[in-house]
Amino acid sequence: MIRIENLTFRYTGAEKPALRDVNLEVGDGEFVLITGPSGGGKSSLCRCLNGLIPHFYGGKIGGRVEVQGLNVMRHSTKELATRVGMIFQDPENQLVAMDVERQIAFGLENIASPRDLIARRIEESLDTLGIADLRRRPVQELSGGEKQKIVIASVLALHPDILVLDEPTSELDPKGAEEVLGTIERLNDELGITVILIEHRLDRVVHLVDRLVILHEGRVAVDGTPRQVLADEKITRIGVGIPPIIRLVQGMRSGGINMDKTPLTVKEGRSMLESVFQNAKRATLRETKTLNGNPIMNMDRLWYAYANGVTALKNISLTIREGEFVAVMGRNASGKTTLVKHINGLLKPTKGTVNVAGIDTREATIAELAREVGFVFQNPNDHLFADTVEEEIAFTLKNLGFKGAEIALRIDEILERFNLVPHRHQYPRALSGGEKQRVALASVIAARPRILILDEPTRGMEYKLKNELMGFLDEYRNQGNAVVLVTHDVETVAEHADRVILLSEGKVVVDNIKREVLSKALLFSPQINRLVQAFEKYGVRGDILTADEALEIVT
Amino acid sequence: MLAFRYRDKGTVIHKLNPFCKLLWVVSVLVFALIFDHPVYLLLLFLSTMPVIIAATVRNEWLSVMKLTLYLCIAIVIINMMLSYHGSHVLLEAPFRIPVMGTPTVTLEAMVFGLAMSLRLLAIISAFAVLTFTIHPDDLMLSMIKMKLPYKSVLVTSLSTRFIPTLVDDLECISDVQRSRGLELDKGKLPQRIKSRMSIMIPLLCNALDRAVQVSEAMESLAFGSGTKRTFYKEIRMSRVDVVTLTLGFFTIGFGIFMCLSGFGDYQYYPTLEVISMGGLEWSVLSLLICLLLSVVMLAFVKRSSDLD
Repeated sequence: MIRIENLTFRYTGAEKPALRDVNLEVGDGEFVLITGPSGGGKSSLCRCLNGLIPHFYGGKIGGRVEVQGLNVMRHSTKELATRVGMIFQDPENQLVAMDVERQIAFGLENIASPRDLIARRIEESLDTLGIADLRRRPVQELSGGEKQKIVIASVLALHPDILVLDEPTSELDPKGAEEVLGTIERLNDELGITVILIEHRLDRVVHLVDRLVILHEGRVAVDGTPRQVLADEKITRIGVGIPPIIRLVQGMRSGGINMDKTPLTVKEGRSMLESVFQNAKRATLRETKTLNGNPIMNMDRLWYAYANGVTALKNISLTIREGEFVAVMGRNASGKTTLVKHINGLLKPTKGTVNVAGIDTREATIAELAREVGFVFQNPNDHLFADTVEEEIAFTLKNLGFKGAEIALRIDEILERFNLVPHRHQYPRALSGGEKQRVALASVIAARPRILILDEPTRGMEYKLKNELMGFLDEYRNQGNAVVLVTHDVETVAEHADRVILLSEGKVVVDNIKREVLSKALLFSPQINRLVQAFEKYGVRGDILTADEALEIVT
Repeated sequence: MLAFRYRDKGTVIHKLNPFCKLLWVVSVLVFALIFDHPVYLLLLFLSTMPVIIAATVRNEWLSVMKLTLYLCIAIVIINMMLSYHGSHVLLEAPFRIPVMGTPTVTLEAMVFGLAMSLRLLAIISAFAVLTFTIHPDDLMLSMIKMKLPYKSVLVTSLSTRFIPTLVDDLECISDVQRSRGLELDKGKLPQRIKSRMSIMIPLLCNALDRAVQVSEAMESLAFGSGTKRTFYKEIRMSRVDVVTLTLGFFTIGFGIFMCLSGFGDYQYYPTLEVISMGGLEWSVLSLLICLLLSVVMLAFVKRSSDLD
C-alpha cells in the first residue's frame, strides 16, 4: 500500500517545485501507469517512493509518503530496498557486476543474507524472468533487453512488494521493450507485485494496466482507469502520446459520430468500430509525392566489412532525391547505422561507390562532406560542449569555413527558427531535454546541409517533443532538402515519411513508398492499418496508415 | 581497444586460482626490479611466453606488446640523448650545453636503455596475462580477501567495469563532432587542444551523469546498509593451490636471496661489464626461472586431478 498525501518537493537550486500537492493512493497488487509531458514530475514522484528523495536528492519537501506502513522521510533507501524495487532507464548504469549471478546477488550481499539463501534467490529470479540461459554469459555481450531483464532480476531477488520502473524501455529496441513489458505484466499478474510504471508509448501497455495517472506540471492532472482517462478531453491539451486508435475515436466524436466506448487495443477496435466502417466513404487517399526530385545521393553496389571481418552491408544500390523523407528501418544490427554513416563519409565503402552531390565520398573528408550532409545522433548530450548555445551553433559553422558576418547572420536566423533566442547565452547542457535536442538539431541545420540524417532521434522521446521535432523535419524537407531517418518507430514513419527502406542482414529487402511497405505487414504495420485491414470486406482501402486518413472516410 | 578485455576462454590459466596468478605477477614484478643483469631480464621476459601460449591470449598480448614497443623505442632514444655517461662514444655534438656538458651518444646509454625496455616488457607482459585471464570480479574478491577496504575495491572494479562503455561513448562522440566538420589534426597546437575539448567535455559530462545514475541504482539495491556484507562467491583453495602458493612465496624468497648473494648484478656505467656467467650462476638462474614457471604450470596438475 502506498499513500501519498499533499506531497510537495523542490530540488535544491530549482526555481519551481517538481511536485506540488500530490495525493495518490495505490493498493496492493495494482498496476499503475504514469505518463505525461517531460518535466511533469514523473521521475521525482518515483524517487519519493523509495526514499531517493529526500535522502539522495536534497531539496525542500512537504507532505507525507507512506510505503507499506513506513514513512519514507524517516527510513532510508537502503531500508526500503526490500520493500520497493527501483528500475531505471539505462540498464548499462544499473549493472554493477560483470557476471549475471553476482549482479543478482549484489542486493542480497548488501543486506548480509546468508550464502544458501542467495543461491536460492538467484535460481528463483532467473526462472521467474526466464533468463536462466544467460547466467554464464558475460554481461557486456548481452543485448539491451537482456541486460534490463537482469537488472529486474537483481531487484526482484530482494523480494520487494512494489516495483517502480522509470521508463525501463526507453533505451531498448522494440523487441527488447516488448519482452521487458511482457515480463513486468507477468510479475504483476502472477506474483501480485504492485507495479508503478512510467512509459511514454501508451499503445504498448495501456491495455495491461488497472490505472492511468497523468502528471502535469508537478500535479496529478487525471487519474482513473485507462478508458476513463483516455476519454477525458484534458489529455489532448496536456500533450500525452495518445495511441492512434484513440485519436481516431476522439476525432469521430468531435465529428459528430456517437461513440460511447473507447477501444484500447486493435482487437477491441475491430469490434467496436465495425458499424462505423461499414458505411465508410470510398475516398481517394492523398498520395505522397512521386519520387522525381533531382538525385543528391547515389550508392552503387556498396559493400562494407568491418575490420573484424563481419560484412555489414551487402551490395546496396540506392538513390536519394531532393525533397524526400526517407525512413531506414530494420532489426537491430541489420546495418541501418552503418548504411547512413556512409552518406557523410564516417565510413568509406569497402567495395562500390557512394556519391554525394557529385562528390565521391572516398575522395572527400568528413568535414568536406559536412557541408552537404548533416548528421544528428540520438543523444543530444553527445553533441553539446560549448559555453553558450550561440557558440555551440557557431562551432559547426566555423569548422565548415564560414566567416564572421555569415556566421552571425545564420545564428540569428536559426535561433529564431528553433525558439532558442531566450537561451542564446545559456550553457546548453543545463537546458531541458527538449531544448537540448533543439540545440543539437540547430547546430547541424545551421550549415544548411542538403541531406539531413537522424539516427533514432525519437527513441525514448515523449510525444510533445517528438511532434515538435517531426514538425521541424517536415519543414526542412519542404524546403527541398532530403531527410533520412533511421528509426524503429512505425507510427512516426506512417505519419511523416514518403519512402521506407527496409534492411535485413545488410541487404535492402524493400525500398518503396511507405504505403506499399507499411500496409498489410502484420505486426510491422501501424495500429490504424491493422485496424482497417479487418474492414476491407466493406470496401475500405487496406492501405490506410494514419488516424487522419481513416477519419476522412468515416466523417 | 575492445580486445583489451577479459574473456573467459576456459583454459587452465583462466581457471587458475586468482591468488596464484597474482603471486606469479608479483614475483615477475619483484624479479624485474631487483635484477639488473640483461640476461636475467631477457629470461624473465621469455618466461612469460609459455603462460601467454597456454592462456591462448597471443593476439591480445601482441597488440599490447606493440604499444609497449613504441614506449621502449622512446626509452632507448631519450636515454641515449640525455645520458652522457659511458666511455664508448658513438657520436659527439660539436657544441656544449651549460651544466650538462657536451651532448654525446654512448654505447652504454644505448645498452642501458635496451635493458630498461626488457624490464618494462617483462612487467607488462605479466600484467597482460593477469588482465586477460582473471575475471574482474574475482580480482575484486581476492583484493577484499587480502583485507583491502571493500568500498575502495568496489570503486576500482566499477571503474574497470565502465571502461568499455566509455570507449563506446568516446567513439560515438567523436563521430558526432567529426560529422559537424571537426578536423582533429588541423591547425596549430592551441587549435588542436580546443578541438579535443569538443570531444572531452561531452565524454566527461556524460560519465558524471552515469556516475550519479549508478549510485542511485546501487542505493536502491541496499548498498551501504550498516550490517556487514556477505559475499556470494568465494575463492576456493584446493590442496594444489596451497602447494602452489607455498612454492610461489619460496620462489620470491629464493630470488631475493640470490640478489642479496650478488647474483644478477650488472654494471652499465661507466663501461659495460663483460657478460661472463659461470656454470653455477647459469644453473641457479635456470632453477629460478623453472620455479617461477611452475607457479603457473602447476595449474595443469590441478586439471588432471580434477578429472579424478
